[in-house]
Formats: sequence, structure tokens, C-alpha cells
Amino acid sequence: MIAALLSAAVLLQQIDTLRPSTLPRSIAIDERLAADRRIKLGDLLVVSPTPGGPGDTVTVSAFVRRRADPSEVARAEYRVRLHLHQLQSLIGYGDRVDRFAIATPSAAATDSAMRGINAPAFGFRAYRSRDIAVETSRTFLVVSRFHRAIGVITIVASAIFLLCIMLLKVDERRRDVAALRLMGISARSIVRSVMVEAALVAVIGSGVGVFIGWSAARIINWHYRGVYRTPLAFASVTPNIIVLAVSLSLVLGLIAGFVAAQRLVRVPALELLTGRHEDRAAAA
Amino acid sequence: MLFRLAWATLSRHRSRTLLAVLGVAVSAAMLLDMVMLSSGMRVSFKNLLLARGFQIRLAPKGTLPFDTDATIVRSSEITAALASIPDIATISPVLGGQIHVAARNGAVVSAIALGGDAAAQGDYEIIEGRAPTGANEIAASDDFLRAAVARVGDTLSAAAGYDPQLRSFAGSRPLIVVGRAKFIYTSAGQRAVALPLTTLQSMQGSAAADRVSFYMLRIRDDGRVDDVLHRIEREIPRVSGVSTQTAMAQVDERLSYFRQLALILGAVSLAVGFLLVTTLVTVSVNERLGEIVVLRAIGVARGRIVQQIVLEGTAIMFVGAIVGLVLGLGTARYLNSILSSFPGLPAAIDFFLFQPSDAWTALGMLVGAGILAGIYPSWRGASRPIAITLREEAVG
Repeated sequence: MIAALLSAAVLLQQIDTLRPSTLPRSIAIDERLAADRRIKLGDLLVVSPTPGGPGDTVTVSAFVRRRADPSEVARAEYRVRLHLHQLQSLIGYGDRVDRFAIATPSAAATDSAMRGINAPAFGFRAYRSRDIAVETSRTFLVVSRFHRAIGVITIVASAIFLLCIMLLKVDERRRDVAALRLMGISARSIVRSVMVEAALVAVIGSGVGVFIGWSAARIINWHYRGVYRTPLAFASVTPNIIVLAVSLSLVLGLIAGFVAAQRLVRVPALELLTGRHEDRAAAA
Repeated sequence: MLFRLAWATLSRHRSRTLLAVLGVAVSAAMLLDMVMLSSGMRVSFKNLLLARGFQIRLAPKGTLPFDTDATIVRSSEITAALASIPDIATISPVLGGQIHVAARNGAVVSAIALGGDAAAQGDYEIIEGRAPTGANEIAASDDFLRAAVARVGDTLSAAAGYDPQLRSFAGSRPLIVVGRAKFIYTSAGQRAVALPLTTLQSMQGSAAADRVSFYMLRIRDDGRVDDVLHRIEREIPRVSGVSTQTAMAQVDERLSYFRQLALILGAVSLAVGFLLVTTLVTVSVNERLGEIVVLRAIGVARGRIVQQIVLEGTAIMFVGAIVGLVLGLGTARYLNSILSSFPGLPAAIDFFLFQPSDAWTALGMLVGAGILAGIYPSWRGASRPIAITLREEAVG
């Protein structure tokens, strides 16, 4: 609840230009709030739990930047940091807190601390930071699964596209292939040469694709960092992704080249040269 | 005649045509999914907001309903002020909280609790029994009743909090389950109960006295919503009013990622389909240059040849699009099942919501792309000089 009140219920009312009689407590405010409302370090503000209600005069002692936390990226509200006692008294929260963070010297100490807390606990519970992180990152697991599903559809579309292009490319060279066959070049050599060509096309295409992906990632990061005002990276082209993309493209290219070349070398060379196989196919 | 010639050309290269149709089908499926994604969330969210006819929500100043734990104090004053506005037909105050119930099996079952006025509420629909109107009555969701091993008519011992120092529940009281309800805004599997506002306020103690989390307002005339909103914000400065339109704009902002993703992937899908058909038609025209110039030589008009080739591209796009639309509905269900598991998302929200207009939009774009894909290569092929091309074809 304190976190929520920090973010929303403690409302900025006005910039107070009068110096109070007692030294005001300090407050740290969101750098976005400072930028939007032109607040400077040392300014005096009045914070209150309700709009227009009585509040405390505080001095701005620091600006805080939001962490690069994906779970907070879509939350646009401002956050301020107050001293615990000050907030408790401001919102009439009594001697209560929402949570404690506890540091332990080792993993074994964590286990024993959790046992020690949870055994007598009533109405509260100790959790490992790791477990909380897993729970709060569920949203991103969903997004990740969604991206993976979209990725699979894209790969299927690319595979069909590549196969189609290779088929057209090899088909276009049926006369050359027929001439090679008539000169005595073996079907295996022709298939190999087509596959090498397909592999080259796939690798060059992957290179161009990596460049486009890298450029797109930069544009995406630039755009969304501006939209959400966060230092988070929204897209990144990692070496693993490059290796996966190039390998996949190469394998798909080789398969497409093999399938397309096999179709050609199965047709007798003379029929290939005269185009009679097409007429037969059309007639069938 | 045009159709027969186009069919003959396409069937001459069956595997090539089949692959092109498959490629277009996958692109069409992706395009349909992205068109559905771009509009589905908005429509689904709007339907959810207007499910019970409330056009305005009032939350503590600077917040959205249930976005924080902040509450509106001295709510009876606000209720009276709202009641004096003649345009408001229904005022539904809601207080949120948690209740904890000792189940028969000894476990403590927790659930979100919504305190409100049963006669004016817009958060749930009763599916068995009746709405809770008496001081010690609740209606509960199926998930809660299952977890608490309870049914309509049972009396539960419920509490609104814990007192860790005394090791006891705080705000305990017996509550009779008088109804089984379907909660409109809860996520799948979320346990929820509804009880009268005053009951929840008293269970939560002095901290919740005369407080509510938000209000829902039903306005008599849809056209007066903005006027009422302005009047409320002027007369009651400690609340923020959110109309359905404002809420939609905020959702748009928060989910802009999905709309932009839909736009980018939709454009890429359309471009892939367009490229595939353009490549195919270009190669097909190059292969049939001799055939085309012979047709021109015997007097077939250039426009007629262009029409035939464009028809081939359009046919591939059309057939691919039809297959793709069916495929797209299947993939949309799968993708929707992934995104529906977002934590905290109301179960009634669909990311991929099918509307006939989406299918028509996707089909129209693909057929349009098919026509465009065929125009340039066919025009180029049909405009070749007849004699020179015939000689080139004959000599090789």
C-alpha cells in the first residue's frame, strides 16, 4: 500500500516559495516529474495525502530515475521517495510497513532465516527475492511465448517463400541444366552446384537480414525508450540470434535448393531442353 | 476465355503455383491475425467497460480504478453531490479489499472482496441464488466456492485482515453465501466475492469508514457524458473522472506495443505476399515472352494480355487469402490463448477478436496487392517489340 500511495496518493500541490520556520524534511522525486513541472533541487513542495488537504512542506533533495524494470514500463505515474516515518505520519498509517527487505550473508542463511520467519508468522510470509522475480516476470514470459509463436509462423512463411524462389530460380535455368546434362555432367554435380548456389543466396540474404534486424532494433529502442521514458532495451540482436537466423536460413536454403534441383535432374535432358515436360504436365 | 487461359498457365506449373498459394496463405493468416490484434483489444475492452452500461468511473484524484490502494474519503458527501446531478441515472460506489475465510478443510482461502450496492452494482452477474443485500450476505465466484468447499446457503467465517501481534483475524464476522456470481472484471481463476458496501467498510475497521475505491456512474443520455464529467471534475476536485473514451485512450497507450507490432507484422505479411506474387508473375511472364508476342502478333490487344496475367496473380492471391483466412482463425485462437494468460487480465478480454470487417479488410488488401503485383510485369511483357522479341525467342 505504501508503494501505491508513494506513486499516486501523495500528490504534488504547489511549489512553496515561503521558507518554513522549521527545517523541512527531504524528498526524492521522479526525474520525469521534475522535468515536466520544472522542479529544481532545493525547491520546497507541499505533499499531502489528499488533494487540497493539509500536508507537509518538504525540500527536494534528489531526483530518482526509474530502474530498467520491464514490469514498470507501462506505468506512467510519477513516484516520490519519502522517509518511512514521514510517510507513515502523513497518511496515518501507524507503525505499519508493507514489506521488509532482508539481506543474508549466504544461501544457507537465507534458508534458515526463511524458516525462522515463516514458522511463527501469522498474516505475513517471507519469500526469496528469486521467487518474487519469477512471479513478477510472468507477464514477460507470456510476451516471450507470444513472440516465439509469431517467430514460428514467420519461419514457416520464410521457408515457403525461400522454397518458391529457389524453385523459380532453378526452373529458370532448366536449359543450362539440360546442356550440362547433355555434356555429361552428372546429376549429383548439378544438384551440388544448385545447393551451393542456394546456400550462397541464403547466407547473403541472412547477412542483409541481420543488418535490417540490427537497424530495426535500434529504431525500435529509440522509439520505445522515448515513448515509455525508460532506459530499457526493447529489442536486441544478440550473437545467438544471429547464429540461429543464419543457420536456419542456410538449412532452409539447402533443403529448398535440393528439392528444386532434384525436380530438374529427374526429367530427361532433351525434354528439359525442349520444354516438353511442361507440356506433359499441363496436359495431365 | 480469360479464366481458362489463366487456369491453363497456373496449372502448367502446379508445384510452383501450389507453393505460391501456400506462401500467400501463410501471409494472409498472419495479416488477418494482425488486423484482428490491432482492433480486437479495443473492441473487447470497450465491450467490457460498457457491459453493464456504466459510462463513467470516478477514482481518487490522479489514479485509475484499482490502479493503486488509494481510496476516496468522505464518500457519503460525494454520493450526495452526485445524486444532485439530474443526468446521472445510477450511482454505484465500490470498495475493494480482501477477505480471508477458514475453509472446511482447515485451509485459509483469500479472495478479492467488492463492497457495493447490490441494486446498482456493475461488477458481477448472479448465476445462482440472489445478490447480497443483507448485512451478513455475500455472493461468490465459482473459484472461491471451490477453494472454500462451500455452496449457496452455507455460512462462512470471514475476516478482512490479519492482526499479527494478536495472531488473530481482524474484522471477523459470519457471512452467508446467498449467491453464485460471475465477476466481469476478474482474471481467469481469480477468487472473488461481493458483499454490501457497509459490511466491507465495517469489516475493514475505522480506516475504511465512509471510504470507497471508486464509483461507477450510468448517465441517462450518452451524448451528455462529457458534460457530466466536466461538471463532476469542477464540483468534486478530489476525484478523477474517466469516461469510456478516456479509458480506451489509456488502454491504447498502455497496449500501444501490440498495436504497433500488429501494424509492422501486418505490413511485412502484406509485403511478403506481394513480393511472392510479383516474383512469380515476373518469372512466368519472362518464360512466356514468345507466347505473349505471338498473341500480340495475331491481334490480341495489349490490355487483354495484361488482364489475363493480372488475373493469374489475383487468382493466386485470392485462393491463398481464402486458405489463409481459415488458417488465420486457427492461429488467432492459439495466439489469443497465449496472451489471455497475462497475469491480472480480465478473462473477458480478447486480444484477437474476430469481426467480419477484419476478414474483408485482409481479403481486400491481399486481392489489391495481387492486382498490383501483376500490373507491372504484365505491362512490361505485353509492351515488348513484337518482331525483335520473336526473333530473340527463335534464335534463343
